[in-house]
Amino acid sequence: MPHVRNTAGAARKGRLKEDSVVEKLWWIVHKDLVSECRARRVWPAMLLLGAVVALILSMEMNAVPGEKPRLVSGFLWLATFFAGMLALDRSFVSEREEGCWESLRTYPVPPSTVYFAKLAVNVVALAALQAVLVPLFAALSDVPLLAHPAAMLSVSLLGNLGISSLGTLLGALAAGIRHGANLTALLVLPAAIPVVLAATEATSLAVAGDFGSAWWRWIQLLGIAAGLFVTAGWVLFDFVIEE
Amino acid sequence: MSTRAAIEVRGVTYAFGRQGVLRDVSFAVLSGQSVAIRGANGAGKTTLLRCLASAIRPQAGEVRWFGQAATSEPATRRLVGWVAHETHLYSQLTVHENLTFAARMCDVPRPAGAAERWLHNVGLWEQANQLPSRLSRGMRQRAAIARAMLHNPEILLLDEPFSSLDIEGKAWLLDLLGKIRDQGRTICFVAHDRETVAQLAQRVLELHSGRVREVECRTCGTPPALPARVA
Amino acid sequence: MKLAVKRRYAGPMGRDVLLGGLTATAVFGVFGFAPTEESMGEVQKIVYIHVPVAWFSLLALGVMAGAGLAYLARRDLRWDAWAEAAGETGWLCSTLTLLTGSLWAHEAWGTWWTWDPRLTSMFVLWMIYSGCLIVRGSLEDRHRRARAGSVLAVVGVVDLPLVVMATRWFRGIHPASPEMEPAMHVVLLLTVATFTALMFTVLARRYRQIGLERRLAELEDRLVAESG
Repeated sequence: MPHVRNTAGAARKGRLKEDSVVEKLWWIVHKDLVSECRARRVWPAMLLLGAVVALILSMEMNAVPGEKPRLVSGFLWLATFFAGMLALDRSFVSEREEGCWESLRTYPVPPSTVYFAKLAVNVVALAALQAVLVPLFAALSDVPLLAHPAAMLSVSLLGNLGISSLGTLLGALAAGIRHGANLTALLVLPAAIPVVLAATEATSLAVAGDFGSAWWRWIQLLGIAAGLFVTAGWVLFDFVIEE
Repeated sequence: MSTRAAIEVRGVTYAFGRQGVLRDVSFAVLSGQSVAIRGANGAGKTTLLRCLASAIRPQAGEVRWFGQAATSEPATRRLVGWVAHETHLYSQLTVHENLTFAARMCDVPRPAGAAERWLHNVGLWEQANQLPSRLSRGMRQRAAIARAMLHNPEILLLDEPFSSLDIEGKAWLLDLLGKIRDQGRTICFVAHDRETVAQLAQRVLELHSGRVREVECRTCGTPPALPARVA
Repeated sequence: MKLAVKRRYAGPMGRDVLLGGLTATAVFGVFGFAPTEESMGEVQKIVYIHVPVAWFSLLALGVMAGAGLAYLARRDLRWDAWAEAAGETGWLCSTLTLLTGSLWAHEAWGTWWTWDPRLTSMFVLWMIYSGCLIVRGSLEDRHRRARAGSVLAVVGVVDLPLVVMATRWFRGIHPASPEMEPAMHVVLLLTVATFTALMFTVLARRYRQIGLERRLAELEDRLVAESG
């Protein structure tokens, strides 16, 4: 085995090439996306649940005539939240099998990198869900959700980030508890209430084309919530994954 | 270099809930030594190795690698390779992808090439593009060993590495670990088989009800006790 | 792990007597001094328990998050015992807040529950406490329990202002700054002060009890270790 020692000297002095953290982050995301594409364990179930919830709720969409856009916005975000929970809840399950999580934690990768990688995967999952649900709700309800695409996109992204950042942190926490997988939704729901409320309001205002001070207030709240939760995840993730 | 402690364990205590597993365990492994850890089932061998690998943080005491706290710097972790009880292979990635991913995480230059070399070394070249679930337990063990050695760690921790290997595999692993030991790297392994222990280990530690005891030391006169200096 | 609690219980002390006197004064104030409200009658006196428990359930969240942060920084289980005690007393108080608030709502607004901003916020607070208690209960290892509880407490304390902000922007029916007679105001302040002192005493007792429980467990473990 001639090559066994080829980099050992450098390793001993800690001079091995320092791959950028961003690169490692990308490879963790890549690994998770490739795994999901092959096994299709989470996404089909998530999209199906979202669609079923949308169909069921569409029966009630005409209940209050005047409030229809607001009602549809609320339903849209509720469906996004509950179907998205499926993905958030599962984001650490694949790591747990065969103990992969243990070696990921002992690799020379800062915990914050793992957090941001998992966050990125969850944001992508939720974005896929939104890409299905927004047109679906628009079609089922005749509410022009996509009348102002740029506004809708920014609300969707900020709401997505708020829910995903919380879900990644609390999902990791729940995954550390034996038989605790069902706890994620319970823990995320109260914390995500401001995000869901603000996203609902901002969506219904965007549908009406009302971009006044109220709209800005909700967008600011969404931004602040996302910023705070991402920061909390970044700082606290280290403690959550420790065993 | 040879008298430097590669692993220092000071007063390590670990309990699952209220059940104590490790009780105030202290020992040191000098750089280049190979140490076998023995003990009955449930004596805490796996827990001790997980502490040494920094996969778990002891409730009291600390583990140091070459004088650096095991929990501090992510970069320090590159010094350690760990073959755990489980294989740590992702079920949806092929063996080659698994090894490449590990190489990337450990900053190995040209990760795909390194993964290929190690697939050759452990005799899994033909199974490179298969999912771990298609492999036998022994083959998965070989893949796990390759995963832990990809980055040429200075400290190698192995939890019952011989357990699922056939006779040929055992001989191969003995040979591989012997070479690594002769290169002056540090090996710490859990094994029950007296023969493999005798061939590979210079020292034998025994765990009994959460305490560690040195039962054998064949190293050239260096005392098994802790170095006096507290880093 | 040092959770030495050496002092023996030596009967009621000056603090307890003071607390008893304060409580008696507060009860007298509520039923003997404060005037009865015109439209709601005796039911209005719910406010003298509702406001103090609501106030303390907010305070306990701060204590829990502060102790949680201190634990994460120091890794000292004594801080976690504070967090645990605060979590339990906080849960108790937020439950009482919801119950007394519900009674009030039934009498004043004719409904047991409504999604008013303050009610929603209090409900979220109750869920934060409940989540903490459930997660704590399902983790056996003390340090893991402490870490999870601390993280949840910090997330809760970050979250609650956002909840309050978000829900307040929908208009609500809860009396924001109720107009009261000065005598009512004085009694309310007295009950808030009394209840805060009382609950802090309960919290401190619970802290002491947790310390003793842990000490007992440690001694049992040592006994097992030495005999086995």
